[in-house]
Amino acid sequence: MLFRLLASARVGISGTLIVVVAFALVALAQDASPPVPSDLLIKNAVIMTASHGNIPNGSIYIKGGKIAAVGAKVNVPSGVAVIDAAGKFLTPGIIDSHSHIALDNDVNEATSPITPHMMMIDAFDYHDKSIYHGLAGGVTTSLLLHGSANMIGGQAIVIKHKYGLNRDAMLFPGAPRSIKFASGENPKRVYGSRNQLPSTRMGNFAVQREAFVQAQDYMREWDAYNAKVKNGDKEASPPKHDLKLEALADVLRGNLLVQIHCYRSDELLTEMAMAKEFGYKLRAFHHALEAYKVADQLAAANIGIATFADWWGYKEEAWDAIPWNAVLCMRKGVRVAVKSDSEDFARRLNQEAGKTMRYGGATEQEALQMITLNAAWIIGVDDKVGSIDIGKDADLVIWDGYPLSSSAVPNKVFIDGSVYFDRSLPGFGMPYYKEGL
Amino acid sequence: MRAFRSLCCVRAHDSCTPCPKDCTSLRSVAFRLVTFVVILLLGVSLCSAQQKPVALKGGRILTISHGTIENGVVLFENGKITAVGSSGSVQIPKDARMIDVAGMTVYPGLIDSETALGLTEISAVDMTNDLVEPSDEIMPHMHVYDAFHAESELIPVTRLNGVTNAIVAPSNHDTLPGQDSFIQLAGKSQDDFLLVRDIAMPVNFTGAQRRNERGEGRKFPSTRMGLAAQMRQAFLDAQDYAQKWSDYEKKKADYEKPKNESGSATDSAVKPGDKDKDKKQPPNPPKRDLRLEALLPYLQGKKPVVLAAEESSDLQAAVNLAHEFNLKFILNHISHSQSVLDYVASLKVPVIVGPIYEEPKPEERFDAVYSLPAQLYKRGVKIVIASYDSHNARNLPYAAGFATGFGLPADEALKAITLNAAEIWGVADQLGSVDPGKTANVVVSNGDPLDVKTDVKMVFIGGKEIPMASRQTRLRDEYSAK
Repeated sequence: MLFRLLASARVGISGTLIVVVAFALVALAQDASPPVPSDLLIKNAVIMTASHGNIPNGSIYIKGGKIAAVGAKVNVPSGVAVIDAAGKFLTPGIIDSHSHIALDNDVNEATSPITPHMMMIDAFDYHDKSIYHGLAGGVTTSLLLHGSANMIGGQAIVIKHKYGLNRDAMLFPGAPRSIKFASGENPKRVYGSRNQLPSTRMGNFAVQREAFVQAQDYMREWDAYNAKVKNGDKEASPPKHDLKLEALADVLRGNLLVQIHCYRSDELLTEMAMAKEFGYKLRAFHHALEAYKVADQLAAANIGIATFADWWGYKEEAWDAIPWNAVLCMRKGVRVAVKSDSEDFARRLNQEAGKTMRYGGATEQEALQMITLNAAWIIGVDDKVGSIDIGKDADLVIWDGYPLSSSAVPNKVFIDGSVYFDRSLPGFGMPYYKEGL
Repeated sequence: MRAFRSLCCVRAHDSCTPCPKDCTSLRSVAFRLVTFVVILLLGVSLCSAQQKPVALKGGRILTISHGTIENGVVLFENGKITAVGSSGSVQIPKDARMIDVAGMTVYPGLIDSETALGLTEISAVDMTNDLVEPSDEIMPHMHVYDAFHAESELIPVTRLNGVTNAIVAPSNHDTLPGQDSFIQLAGKSQDDFLLVRDIAMPVNFTGAQRRNERGEGRKFPSTRMGLAAQMRQAFLDAQDYAQKWSDYEKKKADYEKPKNESGSATDSAVKPGDKDKDKKQPPNPPKRDLRLEALLPYLQGKKPVVLAAEESSDLQAAVNLAHEFNLKFILNHISHSQSVLDYVASLKVPVIVGPIYEEPKPEERFDAVYSLPAQLYKRGVKIVIASYDSHNARNLPYAAGFATGFGLPADEALKAITLNAAEIWGVADQLGSVDPGKTANVVVSNGDPLDVKTDVKMVFIGGKEIPMASRQTRLRDEYSAK
């Protein structure tokens, strides 16, 4: 819109130009402050809790932005605002456990294969309309990850899709830190095409192993220094701070959730072996299109997967993808999320989850969990969001139509108890976002 | 439509079974026996499926052309649908293979109006891609049938979801990237798949065809002006070319015409010992130019061009160009032309709308593209929905289903991937609905054809039951086995 204003202003006199530009900048700077949610009762909806089945004609009481009560009948104080959702469905907000939106394409610092100190927050473009597009598709929380050019790409952020608010108001409070690893074709292609290391899968893992060896040395230096200080050695000089090694040390210390882009079953196993070798834990494999071949091992190691419902064949390592992957893995005990990895899929993750009912026979709740509770677990926020349970954040979607279908459309989307998207509103359908004014 | 006349039944008969009208003759009975033995020997059941009539009984039939029949029967034989009606109203032959489809939904095979099926296998592996010839912009003499790979693993994956026919188009990198083929997704050889080899020609005017990369990649045409100018030049050249040929044909006819009462020109030309006579030389034919030749059927209005534009300004520029050369056209995409939908309706042409998942522009509402099919339908435009995909062409019905969430009636959404598609491609006499006389491309599923949860149970193409197997089901079965 700024661009449009500038373009139209060019035909006017320069004075107008200045006024218009100044106006536009002021307008864009006007992010809304976080709303104070009013207490609310949503009644008569088919509530799909994602944790304890459906309530056919249920009510939810939202108090202070949290779910205060849920059930067939709930008691609320008189005077509480009421939304009658008769004929509509209500689900937890959708959680996208693999997204690259709102980063203005700054997803890969592809100048070195090991860049764990690249912080997503520094690239977060919170005005990106993709956040709105996901919101309008019912997404309330996303894990924004680095790309897969690097073996270790950097540290992610978790956002709530509170479009219209300022940057920091969109960050998920208290979400754990995640770090993105990758493997396979992408790093070897990116660096191999420049005749650099890595250009093979051997190179990929050598680079990663080398990095952790350095991190171990770095930790030892600091441990030794800290021990000296503790013993009263006043002469002790501290080792140099190294952001990169510090970040890797945090992986080894277990302070980061490790999220690995990985396709082939052999590489899934190699990544697990390397984690064992250096003593860190893996949270989830992303894409994981061949996970069905090694599902037992993933389940035993309590590693989740964030996968596609049916995307395949776009590259060699996606050639063995099958749409039954999600359910085959789930039946073996793997925690499975269906994720977007795209601005497009993020707008209709409900349909993607619905496909798991057809391919392998996921139950309705299992399908829903793949885009709510299981995704929340992968991100590490399942204690706060991902299901309709008392005490959780009131991140909710009221749907026109059955959510796990081709034709469902969000009617209203709530985050922390406030409506951030309402299809019935004119313009963009967002109460806290006013474009250009 | 001459090429299309010999659809599945006749093609299949060429290779294995007698055609319907021969079936009563003694010769054909003998032939049948021989065929039967051959099939037994080969252990191949694909062709035998056609010999016995098939009756799908008890299902909910979505005919597309004449409403829904509950508890109906679809009967087909020799690749053609022979009867459709409610149970009891259809006489089922004694030797028919009866298939109980009670509780199931029966509908015509889906038609995907833009795919790259058979032109790609693994997207990132260049050697498996034959999507477009990027060396030049004006490449109407590229024919996708020359590259079409019938054994592609993508095709079984796609047909398992009920897609039985598709347009295969070169990608939109060029303004005139070549000519589309119309395929069916089954057959014994490439010839069976390619129902119409050159069915239409894409004319792309979306801006994506500009050669405006930075540095050395930048060359003409790097602007829309360049795109339009070179396209106009190509059609002008083709007009000149057509003129040259018609001049030549005229001269040739003149030359060959009997000159006088003593005999014809040909007679005098072959008379020996005549070479000294001062006589007219036969005219030289113009040099053939495949590129210009390829444009002629379109300039002559014999086939439609598929005119692709997204923004309203591109759309109007492209339509003006098409009008300038009297091209018969189908519109494609128009994803960001919401402001001129009344104009689109006034053109009275069909629109392949989408992809419905196209992202809105930053200034557009979230549903600007989602609601386009409904908006066009409301204005009386004949709409067709396509996947614009290859690996994910199987998801065609979900794209149509998505449009229903934004106001398109469900029966119209289904029509947009069946009968409407058959009509715009000129094959509605054979495909697109469950009607007697049409090719038996029939799908049986356990529910709403447009929903993601629906499982397709059976697919018939040209009356043959397609095995519900693909590379993906084989991997599933291999790794599910304990």
